[in-house]
Amino acid sequence: MKREMYLDPLPERLDVGSMQSVASAYPASVERIYSGPVVAATLAPILGFFTLMVTHHLSRLTKGLDQFVHSFGLWIPGAIGSGPNGSIGSYSGKETLALIVWGISWATLHFLWRRQDFSIRHWIPIFLGLLGLVTVGFFHPVIDPLVLWLASLAGIA
Amino acid sequence: MHSEPPLQGPLSRNLARTQAGLALLLLAGIAGLDFFFPTSYRIQAGLHGLSSIASVVVGTMLTHRAYPLIRGVRVNFRSLRRWVLGSAVLNLLGVVSGNWIYMRYRGQDGPRDWILARVPGFHNVLMEFKEFVSLFPFPLMVAVTFVLFYCSDRIHARRDLTQFVAIGILASWFFLMLGFVAGLVLSKLRFV
Repeated sequence: MKREMYLDPLPERLDVGSMQSVASAYPASVERIYSGPVVAATLAPILGFFTLMVTHHLSRLTKGLDQFVHSFGLWIPGAIGSGPNGSIGSYSGKETLALIVWGISWATLHFLWRRQDFSIRHWIPIFLGLLGLVTVGFFHPVIDPLVLWLASLAGIA
Repeated sequence: MHSEPPLQGPLSRNLARTQAGLALLLLAGIAGLDFFFPTSYRIQAGLHGLSSIASVVVGTMLTHRAYPLIRGVRVNFRSLRRWVLGSAVLNLLGVVSGNWIYMRYRGQDGPRDWILARVPGFHNVLMEFKEFVSLFPFPLMVAVTFVLFYCSDRIHARRDLTQFVAIGILASWFFLMLGFVAGLVLSKLRFV
């Protein structure tokens, strides 16, 4: 039977239980890895997903908002068109805005957190929670009442 | 008394590889045969189908490498880095080809018009959900790829990070499957 090789159990003892530096707890022989860039790289896509969600719901509220969102995506092939071949319409603008937020937030957070250490064990449930929340945000039967309520508060719909 | 020798390693390995190869070939046929469908959009359909199936196959294979990471088993990170990078590229192909086929979906007398006229819920709920969550796997896999390359082999010493990489792979797979199943349902309902 093949024996499994296990990783050094050292990090298991380093669960410091707070969002403070853990790197200092490592012996000098272990080269330091800052977790800030890891959190930045995984938070940035979620911010992009939230941008997708917000722009999607905005574009459904009024024609003007749909055209505004669409205007950001005109560079994408197939953004405009009619007839049987169709077009992707304002979906192009939603993708573009999400790409912009993903890219800028990743670069910014990476720069700000490149020498920061966060507890990954605390980040994991936050990451999964945000991912679950934004997923539900695309399920119309659940999210539409909230969107319409917010739109009525803002006087949009 | 004479007895046959038991089946040895090479035979079982060859059988397993043959089975995997046949399964891949047949699975690819689900979308590959789209190229011969009687529609003007068969190239778009075939490309999107093949890239989606390839993404799901590689994504699923990666989930089998995620569990050892969660358990803390030492894995070949050099190989893993290459596979997650390949998976990210396949996911990007799926997104780009998805944009291409989506044009026809929304086109005049396309699947959207047909579905809205008969079963609007499939567009208003399922498609409007699918078209966005299908975009999730690519950025997630890019993030996983970045983490693996950024940390390189030093990640061996950080169990928390290896577990997080595994969770990223599993999350990406979940959204791949959501998009894949929803896409299959919609294409069964009305092909382009």
